[in-house]
Amino acid sequence: MNQFLGPLDASGRVPPLQQTRVASLLISAHGALARQLSVVLPGQLKAGWQTELNAQLFRETEIVSLLMRATSWVPDFTLPYLVLTWEAAWLPKPARGIADQKLAAAIDVAALGHAVHGAIRPAALLPVEASAEDPFVVALRRIEFESSRLIQAQIYFLKSDDLKPFREAVSSAVEVRHRQVRKLWAELLEGIGIRRDAEAA
Amino acid sequence: MPFLAHGSHRIRYELDGPKDAPAYVLVNGLTQYSELWAAYRDTLIGKGFRVATFDLLGQGASDKPELFISQDDQVEALHLLIGELGSGPVFLSGISFGGLIALRYAIEHRDGLAGLVPMSAFAELSPQLTLLGNALRTGLILGGTGYLQDLLLPMNLSDSWLKPLLGNLDAVKRQGWLINDVYALQNLMESFLDFQPLTPLLPSIKVPTMILNGEFDFLTPRSLHETLRVGIPDSSLVIIPNAYHAFTLEKAALTADLLARFAEDVLANRWQGDKKVWIAPDEPGGKMIPFPDGYDHLRAIPVQRAAP
Repeated sequence: MNQFLGPLDASGRVPPLQQTRVASLLISAHGALARQLSVVLPGQLKAGWQTELNAQLFRETEIVSLLMRATSWVPDFTLPYLVLTWEAAWLPKPARGIADQKLAAAIDVAALGHAVHGAIRPAALLPVEASAEDPFVVALRRIEFESSRLIQAQIYFLKSDDLKPFREAVSSAVEVRHRQVRKLWAELLEGIGIRRDAEAA
Repeated sequence: MPFLAHGSHRIRYELDGPKDAPAYVLVNGLTQYSELWAAYRDTLIGKGFRVATFDLLGQGASDKPELFISQDDQVEALHLLIGELGSGPVFLSGISFGGLIALRYAIEHRDGLAGLVPMSAFAELSPQLTLLGNALRTGLILGGTGYLQDLLLPMNLSDSWLKPLLGNLDAVKRQGWLINDVYALQNLMESFLDFQPLTPLLPSIKVPTMILNGEFDFLTPRSLHETLRVGIPDSSLVIIPNAYHAFTLEKAALTADLLARFAEDVLANRWQGDKKVWIAPDEPGGKMIPFPDGYDHLRAIPVQRAAP
C-alpha cells in the first residue's frame, strides 16, 4: 500500500485508472450535494443566507464539470457497482432525535456536506512530483481548496445558536456522515493501492 | 502506534525512555504534531528522563472531532496520558496553545506535577492576541492550512532560520499540511470562543514553574508572560535571546537543555523561582544571566524601571 497516487508516468501524471476511480467518487458525492441544493434553492431568494445556497449549488456543479473534463477516463467495470453503493449512501437520512422532520433533513444535508468537504482531501493524495501541468492534478488541488471554503456554510449552520438545543443530535448526525464518507473514501483508495490512515503513516 | 481512549475519541501518544525515570510531558502548539518533539525526545532521554508526547484532539493522528473540541477535553486527554506514567515525578511543558493547556492542567490538578514549563504561553487574550487569532482564523478559512502556515512562518521564526529554507518552504510546510485538516484546526481555534482568562487562577499553581519567552515573540509578547510570572508564586521568567514564538522548533537543543536543567534543579531541591527574570544562554550548557537590575524587562530598549 502507498500513501499517495502513483506511480506517476514520465510527465508526472496520475495513472488513468486511479484518476477514473477518484473522479467517479468525487463526482458522485459533489453531484449529490448539487442535486440536494438545487431542490432546496428557492426561485426567488427571500433571506440573505440563501445567497450562500446559490453559491454552493454552482460551486458543486463546477466541481462536477471540472472533473468530467480534467480526468483521463478509462473503462472500469467495477464502477457500476461502486456508483450504486455511493449513490445509496448519499440518500437523505434525517438526523435522529429531532422532531421537526424538515429541520432533521436540513441537518443531514449539512452533515453530508461537512463530511464530503472535510473528510475527503483529494490534494493530499498527490505526491510532490505530481505535474502542475496535469489538469487532473490541478483539479484535485482546486477541489480541496474550494472544499475548505464550502464547508464554512455547513459549519456556520451546524454550530449556529438555533441548533444549540439539539447539539447532541447534530454532533451525532455529523459523526455518522463523516464515518460513512471516510469508510467509502478509504475503501475506494484501498482499491487503487492507497492507505492513508494513522497506521499507514 | 498506541492510542488512549477519551470517550469515543482516540488520542495518539508515544512514551520513550526508562519507565522508572522522571518524566517530561510535551504538549504541541496549535498546528503541530508530536513528531516535532523528536530532538527533545533524544536529548531528554539522554539525560535520564522518560518522554511522553501526543497529538491533541483535532491534531495529527489523534481523532478530529467534527464540530466541537473543548479545551476541557484536551486537559482530560492530558490527564489520561499522565495517568499512564505511574507515580514518579512528572514535569509538564507546552508551547503556545499547548502551554495554555499545560497551565489549565496545572490549575486543575494541583498535586500531580513536579514542575511546569509554559513556553510562548498566555493566560488571557489581550486585544492584540484576540485580533491576531481572529485574523489567523480568517486566513485559515479563506486560504486553507497552507495560507495559515504562510502567515505563521514569518511571524514565528527568525530570518536566520528562514533564509536557507526560502527556496524550499513547500517541503517545510508539507507534513503539517498533510496531517492537519482545516475544519479540525478551525475547531481548535474556535475553542477560544468561550475562553475565560486563567489569570485569577494562576496563584493556585504551587509547583515550580519556569516560563520561557522568546526575546522577539510577536504573537505572545513579554507582557503575556509577565502575567504568568506575576501570578504564579514559585516561578521565574527566562528570556530566550534572538528567539521568536516558535523557538522550540528553531532552538531545540537549547530549549531541551533548559528543560533538563530545570527538572534537575527541582529534583535536587536547588530550584528557587522567586519570580526572577533571567536571560538564557545562546547555546546549551551556557550560563543563565540575571536580567540587569533596575531595567524594565518589558521594554525592548534599556529603560530604567520606575521606582516602586
